[in-house]
Amino acid sequence: MILPDIALQTCQVLCVLLLAPLLQGFILKTEERVQRSRGPSPFQPYRDLWKLFHKESVEPDSASWIYWIAPIIAFTAMLIVPILIPVLTDRPLPLSDMGDMLGGGMVLTLGSFAIVLAGLDSGNVYGGIGSSRAVMLGILAEPTLILVLVGISLLAKAMLPFVVNHLLLGNISTYFSPAHIFLVLGFFALLLVETDRLPIHSSTHIEIYMIDEARVLEYSGPLLALLKWASMMKQFILYTIFCNVFLLPWGMSQLGTPLGDLGSVATLLLKFMLVALAVVVVETVQSRLRFYRYQEPLAAGFLFAVLAIISTQLI
Amino acid sequence: MAYHLAILLFAAPALAAIVSLVFRSPRLAEYVTSAAAITDLGVSVPMLVAIVRHGPVLALHGYAQIDALGAWVTICIAVVYALSSIYAIGYMRLLNEEVRLPLFYGLFSGFAFTMFAACVLNNAGVFWIAIELTTLISTFLVGFEREAESTEAAWKYIVVVSSGISLALLGTVLFYWGGSFILGPTYAMTWAALHRSASQVYTPLLTVSFLLVLVGYGTKAGLAPMHTWLPDAHSESPAPVSAMLSGALLNASMLGIARFLGVVDGTRTGRFAHSAVVGFGIFSFVVAALFIVRQTDVKRLMAYSSVEHIGVQALGLGFGGVLGVAGTLYHMLNHSLNKSLMFFGAGNVMRSYRTKEIGGIHSVLRRFPATGTLWLLGAVGIAGAPPFALFLSEFTILRAGFAGRYRWAAVVFVVFLIVVFIGFLSHFRAMYFDDFVQAEGPKLSGLVWRALPMWLAFVPLLVLGLWWPQHLWSIFANISSNLTGGTQ
Amino acid sequence: MFLARVNSLQASILSSLAILSLLLAFVMLGSHWLRNYVYAFAAESWLIAALSAAVGYFGGYRELYFIAALTALFRGLVLPWLLMRIIDRLQVKRELHSVLQPSSSLVLGGLLVMFAFVIANHMNRQSGTAGSVVVLALTIMLSMKFIGFLMLSVRDEAVSQILGLLVLENGIFLGSQILVPGMPMLIEIVILFDLLIVVACFGMLVRFLLVHAGTTSSRQLQRLVG
Repeated sequence: MILPDIALQTCQVLCVLLLAPLLQGFILKTEERVQRSRGPSPFQPYRDLWKLFHKESVEPDSASWIYWIAPIIAFTAMLIVPILIPVLTDRPLPLSDMGDMLGGGMVLTLGSFAIVLAGLDSGNVYGGIGSSRAVMLGILAEPTLILVLVGISLLAKAMLPFVVNHLLLGNISTYFSPAHIFLVLGFFALLLVETDRLPIHSSTHIEIYMIDEARVLEYSGPLLALLKWASMMKQFILYTIFCNVFLLPWGMSQLGTPLGDLGSVATLLLKFMLVALAVVVVETVQSRLRFYRYQEPLAAGFLFAVLAIISTQLI
Repeated sequence: MAYHLAILLFAAPALAAIVSLVFRSPRLAEYVTSAAAITDLGVSVPMLVAIVRHGPVLALHGYAQIDALGAWVTICIAVVYALSSIYAIGYMRLLNEEVRLPLFYGLFSGFAFTMFAACVLNNAGVFWIAIELTTLISTFLVGFEREAESTEAAWKYIVVVSSGISLALLGTVLFYWGGSFILGPTYAMTWAALHRSASQVYTPLLTVSFLLVLVGYGTKAGLAPMHTWLPDAHSESPAPVSAMLSGALLNASMLGIARFLGVVDGTRTGRFAHSAVVGFGIFSFVVAALFIVRQTDVKRLMAYSSVEHIGVQALGLGFGGVLGVAGTLYHMLNHSLNKSLMFFGAGNVMRSYRTKEIGGIHSVLRRFPATGTLWLLGAVGIAGAPPFALFLSEFTILRAGFAGRYRWAAVVFVVFLIVVFIGFLSHFRAMYFDDFVQAEGPKLSGLVWRALPMWLAFVPLLVLGLWWPQHLWSIFANISSNLTGGTQ
Repeated sequence: MFLARVNSLQASILSSLAILSLLLAFVMLGSHWLRNYVYAFAAESWLIAALSAAVGYFGGYRELYFIAALTALFRGLVLPWLLMRIIDRLQVKRELHSVLQPSSSLVLGGLLVMFAFVIANHMNRQSGTAGSVVVLALTIMLSMKFIGFLMLSVRDEAVSQILGLLVLENGIFLGSQILVPGMPMLIEIVILFDLLIVVACFGMLVRFLLVHAGTTSSRQLQRLVG
């Protein structure tokens, strides 16, 4: 029995919504295990979210309506993007041509932008620092992201992620072509930066290094829960794009039967485990870079994207 | 006949180098090197005559071809080699480096050997290897004095020139690739083969290859803006080595440019190639003229004068035609003679006054009545005035310029020639005719050895300036037509 | 002509090897430690040797196996060993980037690769798979040249400048293997040994620089000006 499209799309969004904290928990636990300590349980982020939803919300006096709106915008943006990208199924679902890859990127950035505004809104010093640093990272990362998307579009001659997925599934020589390898490497560098892994690692509470934490310093209670969930979903979405579009396009449900969808979910989790392991390994062998050196991994990503674009013209 | 003379030409410096290095005796090294150099000079002139009479000679399975152009450049190099080795006997004894002198003479003869090799090699790739070897050997000659400045100059020399001639290697590979479309994937890259294939190679490819070769060998030759190593290397090396570098090595590099220009002449990119050579030539001339005006160091002054004259030679090649090529070839010999004279004089003056600054040298005529006069007359000659030989060759090149498409370059040439004349001679005026009472300098030994080459350089300079032999003219015309028309 | 009969699988293998070599040149541009430069150069030389062997296999040029072995031995082992000896003798371990930060050099290198691609496209007359292999070879050759010159001009340390020169030569060698595999073996072997002599000379000069000039950093070699 093939599920109707509307159910499939809802399932995609629910999948992202519900499984995002699991991914975050898995990454944290694996990091700790690699460093030979026990680490929190992978379900700890669920418990954190539950706790936050039951706390009271304290807002600063200088906050305006942006303070209330921003978490909602971020959360909603993260709910929209799974409609556009291949999460569970292989074939494009009806609402997925609302936006192509650039459109999906724009919606993701909209969410981040809302949080940047929120950080500036209350006039807090740390919020200002966090927002300015986040914007600087954005300036460095956005060209790379655009070039990666341009590269993949040149490779697939279309801007839809589904076409790319089919191209990579069908054509083994495209999979191993230099253009594709460079795009994978470029997007991996972006992934590390956008999800705040080392060498950027800014989700600490130490003031000098804060970027993300600084922006949300003023938030508490359910709003903070929404923001944290939004960032976890962003991580999940980026991993989904990385796996399903770039690196491991296999294992997605083609017809849309419930069994196929469950299998697709399981494969998704498996793929994420592999990527998360790679990310954890990269994190463990590196140390944090000083802030003015953040341009280096991003320049490397930019370079990979440029080389990928040139490679699409060469072979 | 020419073949046997060529073997002698190469055997002499090789033997001298081996003897110098094996028997670590300074005196033996000095005399062996001078003997080898004089032998080479004596051999090179009959070799040219034999080549002109009987045609080019192939050797070493076609890897070496002694044609008239190569023989002429060999004469220029041999002249400098002979004069410098005689001068070196007197000069190097002043340096108090008795233990390392055999090494110096061994490197000196090796340097000459590689330059002769570059003249006769037929294959463009092996030619590149010979030029690279000249760089490597001359680096240690430049840095011979083990001072901070000399080491710095040697470092700059090897880095800039090696990177420059790697561009020439790229150009050579691209030439080979272009030719492989016509001549097949494997063929010997002789100049004749390049001539044959050049007209059918894809024009943008030919243009890019030629430009790369021009910039690459131009770095070695000292064309601006790739000349930055030249003032340092030529001023910091010992005077005989400076004379060899200026008088001989730059000519060997211009040989490469001349041959490649001959290859692309007549193809669709020929006009552009000539314009590029003229452009570099005139730029070198202007840059050198401006730097000459503001110099304070006497040997750097001579080095910039070398840049200027290489610019003139490039102009001559670029203007093209019989007049241009003949002017360039005559210029090579005259420049070798004149520049050797100038560097020898500069070396004498440096050692005597213990300074290289022009401001520290006064009343040269008082200390050096005879050689000082020679030096002053050499300065007049190198600034391009008659009755010295450089005037004749520059005039010929000017005639070629006004006859062709590059009148603007010829006009700029004349204007900056005046600038050079004034600038160069004002430095000499300061050194000779300033009223300054200088203390008596030390009497340095070996003056005969150091003065004789200056006379030997001066006399031909004067003679050739008054009389351009008809035979030479016909040889030059022959070379010019062979260069563009291709040999067998 | 070898390139006229190359098929797409061979073309993609050649292109992967060539582009990976270019990537290693970028590693040299982007890192701070002198030892990393030498490791990247060694890896690049091994890749080029593999490419040479691949061209020999596809095109049937038996002598290229020999050249590949020589390249792997001399450029891949002996040269890096010589360079490591030079580095050990120096007191510096890091390159201080005073003119251009590594990230800016990476971006500039990317732009230079684009420029090289434009030139290579202009120089090519063939079409089809052969044409794209030609453009690839020319692009990689020219871009390694540009990157080598970039390293030579903006780097201070003597070792970085030597490595810039070696990257230049590597680029030419790579291009010549793909474009003109039939080039007479004599020339290729002599160029190989020539490189060895060049590095030996550089090593001696670096020693002289240390002893007489007191430093190997070009920023401080400023006695000769004008």
